[in-house]
Amino acid sequence: MSRAVVATTGISKRYGEIVALDAVTLSVPEGSVYGLVGPNGAGKTTLLAILSRLRTPTAGTFEVNAARVSVLPDTPRFDPWLTASEVVDLSRVLNAPGTPPSAVKTVLGQTGLHDVAGRRVGGFSRGMLQRLGLAAAVVGNPELLLLDEPAAALDPAGRREVLDMVTALRGGSTVVFSSHILDDVQQVCDNVGILNRGALVYEGTLDELVRGAGHAPTYRIEVRGSGDAVGDYLRSCDWTLDATVKGEFVTVSARSAAVIERELIRCLSYVDIPIVSVKPLERTLEDVFLEVTK
Amino acid sequence: MNLWRLELLRLYRTHRVWILLGIFAFFGALGPLTARYLPEIVDRLGAGAEVAIPEATPELAMAQYSGNAVQIGLLAIAFVAAVSLAFDAKLEMAVFLRTRASIRSILTPRYVVNIGVAAASLFVGSVVAFVGSAILISTPNIGGTIIGSLLLALYLGFAVAVAGFFASIVRSVPGTALLTLGFLIVIGLVGLIPVITPWLPSELVGAFDSQVAGGDFVYWRSIGSTIVLSAAAIVASVVLMERREI
Repeated sequence: MSRAVVATTGISKRYGEIVALDAVTLSVPEGSVYGLVGPNGAGKTTLLAILSRLRTPTAGTFEVNAARVSVLPDTPRFDPWLTASEVVDLSRVLNAPGTPPSAVKTVLGQTGLHDVAGRRVGGFSRGMLQRLGLAAAVVGNPELLLLDEPAAALDPAGRREVLDMVTALRGGSTVVFSSHILDDVQQVCDNVGILNRGALVYEGTLDELVRGAGHAPTYRIEVRGSGDAVGDYLRSCDWTLDATVKGEFVTVSARSAAVIERELIRCLSYVDIPIVSVKPLERTLEDVFLEVTK
Repeated sequence: MNLWRLELLRLYRTHRVWILLGIFAFFGALGPLTARYLPEIVDRLGAGAEVAIPEATPELAMAQYSGNAVQIGLLAIAFVAAVSLAFDAKLEMAVFLRTRASIRSILTPRYVVNIGVAAASLFVGSVVAFVGSAILISTPNIGGTIIGSLLLALYLGFAVAVAGFFASIVRSVPGTALLTLGFLIVIGLVGLIPVITPWLPSELVGAFDSQVAGGDFVYWRSIGSTIVLSAAAIVASVVLMERREI
């Protein structure tokens, strides 16, 4: 098992009566892209601020085992009279002085800002500032990147580029990626922590989460016409946990994948109804998120 | 690019360095002009009214300069220093700096550059006032002008340190600047208590006029307290900003 670059133990943060974080214990493996998801106000930004040492926890302890840490706030802003190139160069000098100045040009190119490198950032759009913030964060290849909603302000093409950049960092840098856009998290993260009302309600690999340890394997069957007869028959089978019908669609679940894979097609062959398709239903991160945060 | 260059660029690209230099140079020129031509100006405006006007002397010219420069110049210096030192005012910018550099390394160039530009502006104004007076009236006491300017520069440095201290108490730029000015006014009022007066930094404000006029040098106590208070304000600002959560 790889070492944890970030490890928190029972971190809490209170502002008077308000509990922003409630005994959060998590571990971010080295080289992973860790998605920190949760609804607005769940405590994502507070947790990232603590890991950035911008705030101190009210209780609990944490370790950040990385010498060079870069942080990208959700709405990055810079002195408007600096050029894009100067912003990234300042970040390089402060965060990774050993990195050659040519790295500035490289990351500006990677974030699509090459053409505006010499322009003052006062006139930049929010999306351009977000790209610039990312360029300033990644210059010098930090060991740990704390990204707070890095793609929130971007158009679809810009978002794709940012997600590709984050994916490319996997293995080299450890990334903690906070977002409420679950599709983004599902695309780039290999580990996930779900925060809800300040508490960590789930932590594990994305694969475990979506496949769902303890979650009943489920298939969806599409039939020609009504699915009632198929539903009735499947409910009568002893291996079936549940079967629901919505028009021509039947959703059936069983205790184990082995049973459903062995029994489903055999049972369907007994029902004299044309079958259009049979496919396993994979839960999305959104499904799981809604389950664990409701 | 580094934090020193960042501060120099801030002054240059936002034109603040020219504003400060311009203010002091303007009053440096205005002092001798008003001292020299005040009788003519009053005569034209007064329509024959009898007004007692002091004789135009280099001391009067330099005093006109220092009086205006301290009032308006100090106001400008407080705001320029507040913009630079209250860097927590814009959260996202503060995140950029605080996650990449220590508070001490962020503040050091800000203090040095702001104190430096305040002193440079004052000296430019003093030179303009000196030359203007020499041309229009007569040459002021050069030794007194230099010593007076140094003492006034020390006071401006104190004002910058006070701005840094208040930047660690409040986050906003206007709040920092107004608290700084308010504090300096209060210090001046405290100076009405005779026992305390010699120890106050505000004594250095009057030192300029006194030194140009050839007065005795009686400012060691206020120099000492100004240096101690400035150092204390700077150290306190570093400690408080390190403790502050954003």
